[in-house]
Amino acid sequence: MAHPPLRVGLFVTCLVDLMRPRIGFAALKLLKGAGCEVVVPEGQTCCGQPAYNSGDRRAAQALARKMVREFESCEHVVVPSGSCSGMIRAHYPELLAEFPEERAALDRVVARTRELTDFLVNVAGLTTVPGQFAGTVTYHDSCSGLREMGVKSQPRALLAGVRGLTLKEMATPEYCCGFGGTFAVKYGEISARIADRKCDDVAATQADAVVLGDLGCMLNIEGRILRRGESTRVYHVAEVLAGVEDD
Amino acid sequence: MTEAAQEAFSGTGGPGTARPQGGTFSGRAHDKLHDAKVQRAMRNFNLAAARSRAMAELPELEDIRTAAAAIRDTALADLDVWLERFETEATRRGVKVHWAETHADVNRIVAAIAREAGVRKVIKSKSMVSEESHLNAALEAEGLEVVETDLGEYIIQLAGETPSHIIAPAIHKTREDVADLFHQHHGTPRKTGIPELTMEARAVLRGHFLSGDMGISGGNFLVAETGSVVLVTNEGNGRMVSTMPRVHVAITGIEKVIPTLEDVACVLRVLTRSATGQSISNYVTLATGPKGAGDADGPEEMHVVLVDAGRSTVLGSDMREALRCIRCGACMNHCPVYQNIGGHAYGWVYPGPIGSVLTPSYIGLENAVDLPNAATLCNQCGVVCPVRIPLPDLMRKLREKQVEAGLRPRWERAGLRVWSWFAQRPALYALATRLAARVGRLLGGKRRAIGRLPGGGWTGERDFPAPQGRTFRELYARRPR
Amino acid sequence: MSARDNILRRVREARQAAAAPTAEEARRVDERIRARTVGPRPAVQGDLVERFLSQCERMSSTVARVACLEDVPGSVSAFLSGKGLPLQAAAWPAVAALPWDAAGMHVQARPARGDDLVGITGVHLAIAETGTLMLLSGPDTHPVTSLLPETHVAIVPADRIEPAMEEAWARTRRETGALPRAVNFVSGPSRTADIEGQLQIGAHGPFRVHVVVVG
Ligand code: SF4
Repeated sequence: MAHPPLRVGLFVTCLVDLMRPRIGFAALKLLKGAGCEVVVPEGQTCCGQPAYNSGDRRAAQALARKMVREFESCEHVVVPSGSCSGMIRAHYPELLAEFPEERAALDRVVARTRELTDFLVNVAGLTTVPGQFAGTVTYHDSCSGLREMGVKSQPRALLAGVRGLTLKEMATPEYCCGFGGTFAVKYGEISARIADRKCDDVAATQADAVVLGDLGCMLNIEGRILRRGESTRVYHVAEVLAGVEDD
Repeated sequence: MTEAAQEAFSGTGGPGTARPQGGTFSGRAHDKLHDAKVQRAMRNFNLAAARSRAMAELPELEDIRTAAAAIRDTALADLDVWLERFETEATRRGVKVHWAETHADVNRIVAAIAREAGVRKVIKSKSMVSEESHLNAALEAEGLEVVETDLGEYIIQLAGETPSHIIAPAIHKTREDVADLFHQHHGTPRKTGIPELTMEARAVLRGHFLSGDMGISGGNFLVAETGSVVLVTNEGNGRMVSTMPRVHVAITGIEKVIPTLEDVACVLRVLTRSATGQSISNYVTLATGPKGAGDADGPEEMHVVLVDAGRSTVLGSDMREALRCIRCGACMNHCPVYQNIGGHAYGWVYPGPIGSVLTPSYIGLENAVDLPNAATLCNQCGVVCPVRIPLPDLMRKLREKQVEAGLRPRWERAGLRVWSWFAQRPALYALATRLAARVGRLLGGKRRAIGRLPGGGWTGERDFPAPQGRTFRELYARRPR
Repeated sequence: MSARDNILRRVREARQAAAAPTAEEARRVDERIRARTVGPRPAVQGDLVERFLSQCERMSSTVARVACLEDVPGSVSAFLSGKGLPLQAAAWPAVAALPWDAAGMHVQARPARGDDLVGITGVHLAIAETGTLMLLSGPDTHPVTSLLPETHVAIVPADRIEPAMEEAWARTRRETGALPRAVNFVSGPSRTADIEGQLQIGAHGPFRVHVVVVG
């Protein structure tokens, strides 16, 4: 290989760790396939987003500083989540403004943080992916990925390389799924109603699966699909790109 | 408590108070989610599509948004100086300028103007500020007849309701509702065609336009350079109320001032497109004083009421950016929460994202605890706002203030504290999540879905997908090397 | 302390400014006004008259174009007949001076009343960007004439068409100075969408706006 390998720190995210570890492994596989050297800093937990969005600034700061410490030596920080990468890039600078002595580390981490598909396309220059998928999928743009991280074309470009896969866009892929973190619990009825609109939109495409890049949206959309009694599958984009392994 | 909030809870509940509607946000939202008529009306409502078509034709959009925000910021930065300039220019043109510190002052000032001018009938064009102060009720208590003339406002006045949207106040009403209201109040045969209903309203309201003694309008902008009040309408009622009656009173917040006529041109380009998707509204009027010597038409008196009622407090807070608002409605039109529950669930004058910021700011954080939280922070509102108000950031700041003020429920605070305690201790966190992953997996059973969780917030109308059963951390430690 | 003083004081406190306005602030405000900053805006390209006419139609006005003022009455009379409207109108005095009789029309120089079906006005200026008429109030340019009748006919000399509102303001400052009591920008007939969001033409103002460009 002409270039030295890209050295990547993978921020797995707390939800992937707890709910869907296979997404983390899919991300690893894709990064390695793109010629990266990947480390997974051991002590990592959560970026602090739930606390931040709940108004608990102090808890959010503690977790954000912890994350920065754990990743400050990484050349690249890759996150398989639009909202967690958005939390770091769009909100850490404001959240940690009170800690000027940690500024340099913060700036480094912020500047080096990318959402997974964005990193694969725009930094690693990945063009071929191992995944195969016999069927039609539709892609949901998660709000933070789209509006904070500019993730729109990257997952689609990569999905186009998955053998057997056809992408059929839903009418309003950019429309919020209604998750909103603790909003989904505090205002469950409204949240589920918004999710229902998303499910209608997905159903209208008759796709076999809805693919997305954020665990929050995933739990919400999948939860509503299950309750509706539908069989549409819900996958994280990394799973489809790396090759789906249902358990 | 802010002054406005004290007023809200002074217990009278009468005109002139800023009071939230009864009940809870969640309760009202629940009712609206199960009100088939509201749901049908909300599905019909699509100003968002009109906006996006209009914006597609404006390649300079982002630059104009930046410029519009800068114009508003310029005015806010030296607000008192701009207001005095406006006052000087308007006064020079014969306008009587009044200053209202509170909502009660608004009502008192307008009632006094009416009394002195011997007014009997008041015709009103849309004014959200007058909704804040319940002006109609106050004037009616003075024995005045008050007629709303914006078609939507007229409909809800007949229905005895409040607006559910700042530019489409009756959007929650169906044509059937309107048919019933007109039949009942006009004593005419019931008709359900929208054109026929519109024509009937035109005929009835035309009579009022020709017989009103006093016209009340809001003011989209105040132009400091010329002392003019800018009125933007599509129906023409803004022109009517500022032209036909003997007295014209424009009521507007102190934040509405902008420097020059050129600024009017700039801000209008994004206001009307953001609101209704039009490149300009049908009528834009600059009213600068009463009629002059030789004028055959126009009011004999013109008054402007400049309203504070909490705005100066917001100016000095970290909510200042909200004062840029030009009331286009785009944030609510694009809000997934608003689109599902409509405006009334928000409980006060301004619904949607901007309402979730303004309501707690104007009537007190403790009187609108739900609003800043009742949002997914999807930021569709921030993306469309023509003056770039970072609405989700402001809502998040309000959430922080609630936590600081101890306004969040105890279970929520405790939950966050426990969770963040663990999340800062990786070894314990690893244990806790191992356990949670296993329990979750078991609860999920064969369906891999949890149908009921404590509290029921999540699982009322959704399942919770079960975790895979092992954490990433565990599996990664055991990975083949 | 008056309400005015209280409000201004609170605003200054909120701004964390000195108790009394400073000369520097006054200068800033003066300069900002004098600069008359024109913001970013779409370019108005091509022939101004063509652009104006097409934008008028977009705003649901109807349009006609004649070579000279003498041709206006014939054109208007044909328009009104075509719509089955009466050939009589209230008009601004300067407009009423045109040879209407020869076109079979009865036009009176007076402000329109609630029962007039047709009102005929000139314009102060017109705006190509948005298909907008700019009308100034005055003893001989009655705002009611463009407001009360169901049909508003506006006569627009081609050399009064400006690219955008900014040019219209600049020219108004040059030609007129201070603004009159009312400046009315009219862009097509009155409309509403307040019942179920469905667009209806003719809420309170005219149902029809007919624009005749001269020259
Ligand atoms: S906050 Fe922005 S989008 Fe919402 S009404 Fe105000 S100006 Fe419009």
